[in-house]
Amino acid sequence: MSEILLETQDLALAYGGFRAVDGVNLSVKAGTIHSVIGPNGAGKTSLFHCLTGGRKPSEGSIFFNGADITHRPAHARVGIGMARSFQVTSLFQNLSVRENLRLAAQGCDGDKALAFWRPVGAGKAHIATAERVMERLGLAAKANTAAGDLSHGQQRVLEVGMALCGEPKLLLLDEPTSGMGIDDIPIMTHLIAELGKDHTVMLIEHNMGIVMTISDTITVMSRGQILVEGKPDAVRADERVRAAYLGEAAV
Amino acid sequence: MPPLRPNSGCGMLNLYLFQILNGLGLGMIYFLISVGLTIIFGLLNFVNFAHGGFFMLGCYLCYALLQLTGQFWLTLLLGPLIVAALAWVMEKTLIRRIYHLPHTFHILVTVGVALILQESAIIVWGPIGKSIPIPEALQGVVIMGKFAYPKYRLFLILFSAAIGFILWLLLERTRFGALVRAGSESTEMVSLLGTNIYKLFSLTFALGVGLAGLAGVLSGPIRGAQPFMGPEVLGIAFVVVVIGGMGSFLGALVGGLLIGLVQSLMTTIWPEGASLMIYGAMAAVILLRPYGLFGRA
Amino acid sequence: MKRLMTSKGLFGGTTLAVLAILVLLPLVLPSATLATEIVIFAMAALACNLLLGYGGLLSFGQGLFFGAGSYLSALAMIHGGVGLVTALVIAIVAGALIATFVGMLSIRRTGIYFVMLTLAFSQTGYFLAYTLSKWTGGDNGLLDVPRPGLSLFGVDLVDLKGAHAYYVFVALIFMAVYVGARRVIDSPFGSTLVAIRENESRASAVGFDTRHFKMLAFTLSGAVTALAGALYGMLINYVPLDNIAMAMSENIVIMTVIGGTGSLLGSLLGAGTLVLMGEILSSIWPRWPLLLGVLLILIVVFLRGGVWGGVESLIGRMTRKDEA
Repeated sequence: MSEILLETQDLALAYGGFRAVDGVNLSVKAGTIHSVIGPNGAGKTSLFHCLTGGRKPSEGSIFFNGADITHRPAHARVGIGMARSFQVTSLFQNLSVRENLRLAAQGCDGDKALAFWRPVGAGKAHIATAERVMERLGLAAKANTAAGDLSHGQQRVLEVGMALCGEPKLLLLDEPTSGMGIDDIPIMTHLIAELGKDHTVMLIEHNMGIVMTISDTITVMSRGQILVEGKPDAVRADERVRAAYLGEAAV
Repeated sequence: MPPLRPNSGCGMLNLYLFQILNGLGLGMIYFLISVGLTIIFGLLNFVNFAHGGFFMLGCYLCYALLQLTGQFWLTLLLGPLIVAALAWVMEKTLIRRIYHLPHTFHILVTVGVALILQESAIIVWGPIGKSIPIPEALQGVVIMGKFAYPKYRLFLILFSAAIGFILWLLLERTRFGALVRAGSESTEMVSLLGTNIYKLFSLTFALGVGLAGLAGVLSGPIRGAQPFMGPEVLGIAFVVVVIGGMGSFLGALVGGLLIGLVQSLMTTIWPEGASLMIYGAMAAVILLRPYGLFGRA
Repeated sequence: MKRLMTSKGLFGGTTLAVLAILVLLPLVLPSATLATEIVIFAMAALACNLLLGYGGLLSFGQGLFFGAGSYLSALAMIHGGVGLVTALVIAIVAGALIATFVGMLSIRRTGIYFVMLTLAFSQTGYFLAYTLSKWTGGDNGLLDVPRPGLSLFGVDLVDLKGAHAYYVFVALIFMAVYVGARRVIDSPFGSTLVAIRENESRASAVGFDTRHFKMLAFTLSGAVTALAGALYGMLINYVPLDNIAMAMSENIVIMTVIGGTGSLLGSLLGAGTLVLMGEILSSIWPRWPLLLGVLLILIVVFLRGGVWGGVESLIGRMTRKDEA
């Protein structure tokens, strides 16, 4: 299980003179839950944008499963086994939960979905995937509910579920608990831990508490660079991490 | 605009100089129209498909006010103000209700307004266009050596350049301009500054539409007033904005002048194809620069 | 007002309603020509609806495809001496190609820029037709457009000179297009278009190259619109310059919206409403487009679902009362 699934080499993303990501070398081992945390403005989200293809890095490279994907557009990363969730819930609001998930499953086929002469019903595999993911998320009872009518917590769960439909090797989760009520957070934490059993998960989090219980590895970022990396206990004990977070608290 | 050629045989060079000046005048008119469209879009994120209709109204007001008062300067003042006032009322009563809707609905409503303007013009002034005499004070030509150029057209260039400069000062050097520019980035920010954002919206809408009205009044004595000129003018304004980049003052200026010059010079070379070449120029620009010359991605 | 995607059979529900309307139209209306006009514009509105109602793409360039279909099919018949089927195929192929080209250049931009580009390209078509007056007749329009009979492999099958015969021909084509469009909407492609309309960045994140889907929608829409344009030229034996003018694009969009976006039956209702309004009002008051302008504003302010949306919500309200 020590094979490296995702790797960045000297990755940098500059906005004008400001280097939001500044020479990051990150390795995510297959089969682990790897969290990236850090105070506001540490460069987590910018790093995430590079990994998902939302932004082109200014320097450096990204490798997935050994292949250079630095310049691959966002949609073309799904087919090779990467899937993402959004920090701000991004669903097909007016479509049913089932249709949301079916579309997500259909997405891995990319341009095959251009077939305008075939009925949707013929894509049995996609429908089956949607049903399976719905069961797993505990949303089966809401199959025909419009995504926009779900509770906020359920929407966050569906948000993660969308990424699952592609049967990805790597799940990239952008602050999955963002905006969740205190009561809903344990549900999400449990779900991610569950997913970690059969997926490699990389998540970005602002809140340190949440990731401590589920992560195998934690990378702490500060000012665009990696500050500390290690197991949760080691990170918790590290003075520099405390200083970085205290610095934020002082502001 | 109808081609106007020098009547004396003053040579090819003078012919081109003549057409370049014509192109500048035409370009400045296009600039006034497009910069109005762009200002409105920048702040309000609203696309005014009735913009060409308000230009047409400006032309007709030029005709009507001249008939009524015989005073060109008064017409030049009142015409744009009436158009702006109409826009201000429209913003308060109608446009404000639909800001929150998607662009499609903005377009439908303003297409409706354009139809109402066009048909109203026909009801009031009839389906056949009106020609507008050049004001007495500006009749005749300015003679520079061997070269003669109509006074009114020269006035049009200088006057619209002055308006452009004042507009630039207004946008760059005043509190109003700062608010408009800030609002283009984030309307929330302007609200936080404690400004009544709705008042700012109304004023900006009136200003932008008033500029189209001013362009109409100014070009009245050259091209007259026709009820169906709205769509053509709207199309050209879009071309200018596509070329220059939406939300850019400089883009509207450069795009407007470019289109004016292309159209005017083509009038000498290939009169039937002059309008077509405008669109050719646009296609060339967006092939090379999808976001326009000064547009942001 | 969340509306769920429901997949009905190709021939169920509204398909029967469309069939009924097509049968009734020539019986109710004073002339078969008027009925034919409605059905032709319904076809154009349907193609526009595929873009707007399902893909969320507002194209102000539909008049370009409509006009191109009219001109090219007419020119092929006049100068090339081709028959009906060939002329229609030429229109379809040309419409698809032009739409692909315009789409390629326009789809790079989204939102309002996209609308502006489509409008500017349709103006290009207008001025091209105006400039090439040797071929198109310019302002005077292209005269003496034939309406050949239907023949296959040199065998004459049906003469279409009669207004009723032509209506039946056009109605059959419309039915085919309608059923085809239903299939397209219920296909993986159609569902992906809806997904793009709902949330493009999410659609992209789950793996769709959204540009490809928009392009294909544009191509299909252009082909159908050009087909409608060709049929219209044959109907009135004439191609006016108006066929490719901005007003044509505008009218097609207005029909689509009046009928209700996202409902194919709505396109038929929208086209019917606008064509009949024009037919009835223009004889009473030539300035009737003023009322159309008022109607557009009222629809946006009060009835955003269009006519069919209004009917649907009425039905919805009534059935909900039944349940209660």
